[in-house]
Amino acid sequence: MKSSHLLVLLLALGVGAGARAAELNLFGWSEYVPQTVIDGFTKETGIKVNFETFSSNEELIAKLVAGGGRYDLVQPSDYAAEVMIRQKLLAPLDRAKLPNLKNLDSAFTNRPHDPAGGFTVPYLSGSVGIVINTEKVTVPIRGYRDVFQPRFKDRLVVLNDSREIVTWALYTLGLPINTLTPESLARARPIVADWVKLVKVFDSDSPKTALLNGDVDLGVVWSGEAAILWNQNKKFHFVIPAEGAHQFIDVLAIPAGAKNPAAAHQFINYLLRPEVSQLISTAFPYTNPNAAARALLSPEALANPASYPKTGKLETFRDIGKMAAAIDRLVTDLKSAR
Amino acid sequence: MRQAAARRAPHAASWRAWLLLMPMVAWLVLFVVVPTTILFVYSFCERDELGRVVFSFTWENYTRVFDPIYLRIFARSIGYAALTTIICIVAGFPVAFGIGRARAAWRDRLLLLVMVPFWTSFLIRTYAWITILKEEGLLNAVLRALPFGPGPVDFLYTPTAVVIGLVYAYLPFMILPIYGSVEKIDGALLEAAHDLGAGPWRVFTAVIFPLTRPGLAAGTLLVFVPSIAMFAITDLMGGARVPLIGNVIQNQFLQARDWPFGAALGVVFLALFATTYWALLRFRDRGEARG
Repeated sequence: MKSSHLLVLLLALGVGAGARAAELNLFGWSEYVPQTVIDGFTKETGIKVNFETFSSNEELIAKLVAGGGRYDLVQPSDYAAEVMIRQKLLAPLDRAKLPNLKNLDSAFTNRPHDPAGGFTVPYLSGSVGIVINTEKVTVPIRGYRDVFQPRFKDRLVVLNDSREIVTWALYTLGLPINTLTPESLARARPIVADWVKLVKVFDSDSPKTALLNGDVDLGVVWSGEAAILWNQNKKFHFVIPAEGAHQFIDVLAIPAGAKNPAAAHQFINYLLRPEVSQLISTAFPYTNPNAAARALLSPEALANPASYPKTGKLETFRDIGKMAAAIDRLVTDLKSAR
Repeated sequence: MRQAAARRAPHAASWRAWLLLMPMVAWLVLFVVVPTTILFVYSFCERDELGRVVFSFTWENYTRVFDPIYLRIFARSIGYAALTTIICIVAGFPVAFGIGRARAAWRDRLLLLVMVPFWTSFLIRTYAWITILKEEGLLNAVLRALPFGPGPVDFLYTPTAVVIGLVYAYLPFMILPIYGSVEKIDGALLEAAHDLGAGPWRVFTAVIFPLTRPGLAAGTLLVFVPSIAMFAITDLMGGARVPLIGNVIQNQFLQARDWPFGAALGVVFLALFATTYWALLRFRDRGEARG
C-alpha cells in the first residue's frame, strides 16, 4: 500500500461501506460464472453475491493492489495466483471447510503455482490451440509452423497477447517458455516478426467472431472459444500444437484482507459440488478439473476435442517478472514495423 | 452616486460569479487538475514487480517515449487523425453549409438527422460497421450482386476500415460547429459579394471561409484530438494489427502493468494537444481579426 494514497482515497470514495455479514463480494472473469449458479447459492444460503468482473489478470492484480480488501473471492489464473501468493495478497485456505475438494482431479491440484494447495482451488482449465476451418483449409495443420505460412497471409486470427505470441515462437525453437533470457527473446524475435505480418486479426476477447464471420480460416485461440465454435459447426477442428501448448488453470482464492472469508469458503465448497460444477462447464465449455462433475457431463460435451483434448504437451505459465515488459515492448515494436 | 454604484457593481458581480462558478471549479480541480497532477508525478516514477508505482525519481520513462518505436507510433497516430480530420472537413463542410443555408423549417429536421446516431451506443454502431464490412457482410453482398462486380473485397481489419470507423464516429463533431458558424453569416454579405462581381470561388475564399474559421477550428479540435487517442475502433475494426498511440497507452495500464510509462506517454500526449490547441486558437483569431 505504499503506492499513491491519493488514488486509494479517490477509489475509497466510490467503494462504500464494505461487506456485511450476509454478503459475498466476488471478483471474477467476465463470461465465466453463470448467473444461475450464483442465484442458486443465494437461494440456498441467503448470502447475497455481489459479482464484479475483470477481463485480464493484470486488471485483477491492479485492482486488488489499489482497492485493498473489498473482495472476498477472486479468480486469478495460475501464474497470477503465484505472484499474489508470493506478495502475500492471498489468505490461506481452511481446507477443513472445503470437503468437496475430494471431487477434484489430482492432475489439476498441487501444481507449481501453489504446490501445497494452501491458497488456491482450481475452477476451470483450458489451453491455447489451433482452430482450423476445414472447409477452407485442406492441408494438414499440426503445429505453429503449419499455421504461420505465407500461403495463409491475412487468413489468421490470433490472441492479442504479447506473451502468448512469444511463447509460440519459443516452442517452435524448442526453448523453455518460463525461463526467459534476453538471448532467447532475441532468437524469438525474427520468428515473431515474420508471424505478425501474416496475421489479419489480433483479438483476445472474442477470436471466434472472425472465424465465424468467414474473415479468417485459421486461429490460435483459447480452447473454450474453439469448443464453442465446434459446438456451432463441426467444420471447426481443434488441434493442440505439436511443439507444445500453454495450459492455464484458473483458480479461486481469497484475498488477504477479505471481510467475509467464511462465506467465501462456503461459496468455493458450493462450486465444487459435481452438479454445480457441471452447470459451469456446460455454459463455458472449458476443461472441468472436477472429476465428479465430469462424470455428469453429456457424452457430446466430453467428446468436444477443444474441451478435452486427447493428447498434447501442455505447460502452465510461471510468473516471469520484468521480462513481461520486455515481451510487450518486442511485440509492440514488431507490430508497428509492418 | 451613479458613478459610485457603477464602481461597486463589478466587485459584487465577481463575488456572485465565483459562487456560481464553484461547482465548475470543484469539478475541474477534482477531475482535471488532480488526475493530471497524479499523471505527471507517476510519469517520473518506477514500477515494482506487481506494477505498483514506486516513488523514486527517474527519467527512464521519457527516454523510452522518445525511442524510435514510439515516435513512429506517435507519427502514425497523428497521420490517421489528420486524414480523418481532412475527410471530415471535406465531407462535413458542404453538409454544414447546406443545413446552415436551408430554410428554417428544414434546418431543425436536418440537424436532427446529424444527431440521430448518438441515440445508439457507440460500440453497437461500431459492431454494425463490422456486419457491413466483413467478408460475408452487406457491402460484399452488394458487390457480388453487381453484374461485373469484383470478388469479395477485404474491407474489415484494414487501415481503410479504421479510417471509415473514425470518420463515421467523429463527422458530427465537425458538422455541428461549422454549422454554427455558417448560420451566423449574414446573407447580405454574400449578396454584396456577388453584386460586386465575385465569382463563386471568390465568394467562398474571401467571404465564407474566413467567416467559418471559428467553426472549422472548433471542429478540427473536436475531431483531431479524440481520434488520435481512439483505441476501440483500431482494435475492433482494424483487428489490432497496427498499434496506434491510444492502444499503446491502454496496454501500459492493463496488460503490461507499466503505469509510469503509460503516464509518460500521456503527458507527452497532453503536450501535443496543448500545442494543437494553441495553433488552432491562433488560426481562429486570425480569422476573427480579418472578419
